[in-house]
Amino acid sequence: MKKVFKYLNPLSHLGDRYYSWIFPFVANLVLCICSEVYAYSIAKNPMAVGVYIIFLNVAFIIYFAFREGIVGGFISTGVTIAYYFYIIYTRHYSGSQYTSGIDTTIILAILYFIIAFIIGTLKQQIDRLIDIQSDERKRLEAIIQQLPTGVIITDNTGTVTHINKQINKILGLKIPIGFKIGTDNITKVKINGDAIDPTQASTIYALTKGKSITGRDLLFERKDGTLAYLQVSSAPITNKKHKIIAAASIITDITQQKELERQKDDFLSMASHELKTPITSLKMFIDLQDKQIIEKDAKKVKYFNERIRDQANRLKELTNDLLDVSRIQTGKLAFNKEAFDIAEIVTDTVEGLQATTKRHKIEVESELKQIVQGDRYRIYQVLVNLLSNAIKYSPQGEKIIVRVKKIKQNVVVSVQDFGIGIEKSQQDKIFDRLYQVTDPEEKTFPGLGLGLYISKEIIERHKGKLWVESAKGKGSTFYFSLPITSKKGNI
Amino acid sequence: MANKILVVDDDIDILEAISLLLKSEGYAVETTTKGEQTYNKVAAFKPDLILLDILMSGSDGRAICKKLKLDDTTKSIQIVMMSAHPGADIDSLNSGADGYIAKPFETKDLLKIIKHHLK
Repeated sequence: MKKVFKYLNPLSHLGDRYYSWIFPFVANLVLCICSEVYAYSIAKNPMAVGVYIIFLNVAFIIYFAFREGIVGGFISTGVTIAYYFYIIYTRHYSGSQYTSGIDTTIILAILYFIIAFIIGTLKQQIDRLIDIQSDERKRLEAIIQQLPTGVIITDNTGTVTHINKQINKILGLKIPIGFKIGTDNITKVKINGDAIDPTQASTIYALTKGKSITGRDLLFERKDGTLAYLQVSSAPITNKKHKIIAAASIITDITQQKELERQKDDFLSMASHELKTPITSLKMFIDLQDKQIIEKDAKKVKYFNERIRDQANRLKELTNDLLDVSRIQTGKLAFNKEAFDIAEIVTDTVEGLQATTKRHKIEVESELKQIVQGDRYRIYQVLVNLLSNAIKYSPQGEKIIVRVKKIKQNVVVSVQDFGIGIEKSQQDKIFDRLYQVTDPEEKTFPGLGLGLYISKEIIERHKGKLWVESAKGKGSTFYFSLPITSKKGNI
Repeated sequence: MANKILVVDDDIDILEAISLLLKSEGYAVETTTKGEQTYNKVAAFKPDLILLDILMSGSDGRAICKKLKLDDTTKSIQIVMMSAHPGADIDSLNSGADGYIAKPFETKDLLKIIKHHLK
């Protein structure tokens, strides 16, 4: 039954236009048959149909032209005119005087076709406009949903008409379509720590003042208590008569960006601190050297020169680290490729680092020769970093053990210290740029926090892995693996 | 008798440079890289002035300064703090230090501030 009603409604679309001729054809045929049955069986007068049938026919033509377009109107008209000729034919042979209607019928036919054409065309234009509007709406909806930022569009009362899923993620709450944004439900928004005056909230501002707000930064507290830095822009949408009909707001979560900015600031401050330290001693050693112009003690001159050279080397290493980070971030860290014995480099590095510590004894447990492909200097850099960390983070430790082992097709190098260790929750973070381990009393350790970040990048570019096993207070063991290659491999 | 100066910094190179410089100027100098050893050194060496770095691995110079300034036996010792961090001067004075010098400094400025506080 519903289907019948749906069909009878001229504005409903059944969707299958291919069969649009069937319904007008059958309906008009049924109308004609009913007229004939009425004339011959009920009224018992062939002329009983009369001119009133014309009104019914016109009504049918208009209805089907509007329902099914030009095709429907023309089919209706066709069946109707055919019926008129049938009447003229049958009444002529029955001897009636109703035979002079051929010219009238032709005029009627032309008129009917014109009506069907006009109504049908109108209907098709309306359909097209409806389609365009619906396509536009779908396109807008798709764009809104695909945007990486949150979008809310409200009508002029502040009632939400469009919203995308990003909003829910950013705000941590679900705003349904139809929700009314008002001065009473904007509470947890702060600008620079101060709660915002609800009438100044961007959507409300855009709707009431008719002005745009661009890139307003604010701090938003989510229901679960987490804070998010948001950047909000709102603009009123006006119609041709300049009346505000809607407001569109775009919300971007800039928490990560803020965090990166903070990290960058920390990095610069840390970098400048670390660079200033050797510069301080460098300046003093130069001043001490100046005194030798008078004292002329050759031994002292040589010693101060050495110390000046040390400080210059420290500065060089620091700037190299900073440059490496910059290269990693722009993807420009370059590697040389050669085959070398990893065990030999381990022994050399340990010898070098042993000279820097009196407290620690660095032991090496190495299995013969292990040839790997890669950049000898970069692997040496990783080893220096791991060993210096082991020394730095085990101020009370006395032993550091370096092992070189072959495991399947990899050589695994490990550096074990017996120092402060790393908490489980920090173990992933230590490979991030600028992350440094702190100990329970929030003690700080010198350095830029770049070493492991650079090392991980170097090892991964050699198709290896760098990882850590550690327990708080019990020391750490850092491992890196490198594939053993008999042939030349690519880094 | 020469004035006694204790230098506390986590950087061995800076310690060595300052120590050599001050010794060449006629001061008696002791050094330590470990903040927690400051108190022992102070008790044994009885310095007239302490050159104290603000951020050291293992301890916080500001906390050491506060503690020394709260102790009646050590509060008269002049403390000059030093740091490479911008804004650390306010931190130092807040923790009760008598003076502050920013790293990297000119040798003559370091000597000037030491002389000033030893008057």
